[in-house]
Amino acid sequence: MTTPNALLVIIRHAPHNSNWLREGLDAALVAAAFGQPVHLLFMGQGILALLKEQGSGAAGQKATLPTIDMLEMYDIEKLWVTEEALQGMHLTTDSLVEGVTLLAEQQVPGLLQQHSNILNF
Amino acid sequence: MMQYGLLVMGAPYSSPAPHSALRFAHAVLARGHQLAGVFFYHDGVHNASSLMAPPQDELNMRDAWAELHQQHAVPLDVCIAAALRRGLMDESEAQRHGKQAFNLSPPFELTGLGQLLELQQRADRLITFA
Amino acid sequence: MILHILTKAPDSSVAVQMRQAVGAQDSVLLIEEGVTAALAPAWAAWEQCPSRIFLLLEDLRSRGLASIAAEHQLPTLEMDGFVALTEQYTKTVTWY
Repeated sequence: MTTPNALLVIIRHAPHNSNWLREGLDAALVAAAFGQPVHLLFMGQGILALLKEQGSGAAGQKATLPTIDMLEMYDIEKLWVTEEALQGMHLTTDSLVEGVTLLAEQQVPGLLQQHSNILNF
Repeated sequence: MMQYGLLVMGAPYSSPAPHSALRFAHAVLARGHQLAGVFFYHDGVHNASSLMAPPQDELNMRDAWAELHQQHAVPLDVCIAAALRRGLMDESEAQRHGKQAFNLSPPFELTGLGQLLELQQRADRLITFA
Repeated sequence: MILHILTKAPDSSVAVQMRQAVGAQDSVLLIEEGVTAALAPAWAAWEQCPSRIFLLLEDLRSRGLASIAAEHQLPTLEMDGFVALTEQYTKTVTWY
């Protein structure tokens, strides 16, 4: 089942390490603001963006958490993470922000197929 | 014939991505397709700097993109938020921010991220180089 | 059907992420550092996507790997072939 026009934004980079995360989330927010259905898939280090206890970085380095919290306001409801990736990082959903949906690793190819647009950050 | 859009997110002389993107762009045109636009995001905004001055035996990436525009009228859009953060701006932004210099000029155009999403929807193919 | 473009070495974490995302009908194009997979016959992707992995010849040539790729009979493409491949796949995802 493909949602026409839907955008999947893949987030693979951690907070406070580069600007990839911030600029990836910006793309997701702008797409959602334009009314495009947007879903996020967090992979690898990108999962660290979902840790609920994260703070701001070194002086002048903005925190990511407020942006993550904004996703719901923009109707970005699906934040996908694979169970295997969470286990691999010895994390459970208790450590993550609310609203994360787990999927099995083998469902990832299907998730990509379902979206007519994909951006990988 | 198809419409192609390119998303470039690597900086010249730091990443091979702009070189790959430029060669891909010429191959797209050589196969009879159209280039609906090139969008520069993340570190890719550095491709637009008119102040880059590589040694003579290296490709001037900014000029190479400008030539692509001159020959094929390919829009060269640069994300304004990503650009301003990294010190890339045109004359009017420089004035607005009280800067003494500017380093971005046509055919590069500062624009919003919406332009990328619009390009992705309009083009038959969007290929990322990063 | 998706064309996955891998720009990093086969032992990179992004290569692992790409392998998780590749579907049964998808193909893979190796460009830039990705072509060093020609030196990694044990890379799991070769078995995962038999005959659906292509290498960009100009990136092989510039790295001195073209004859090795030929010895291993790996499918290679010129830039023109890269474009032709994107014609066949409505979506491409670049892993970098």
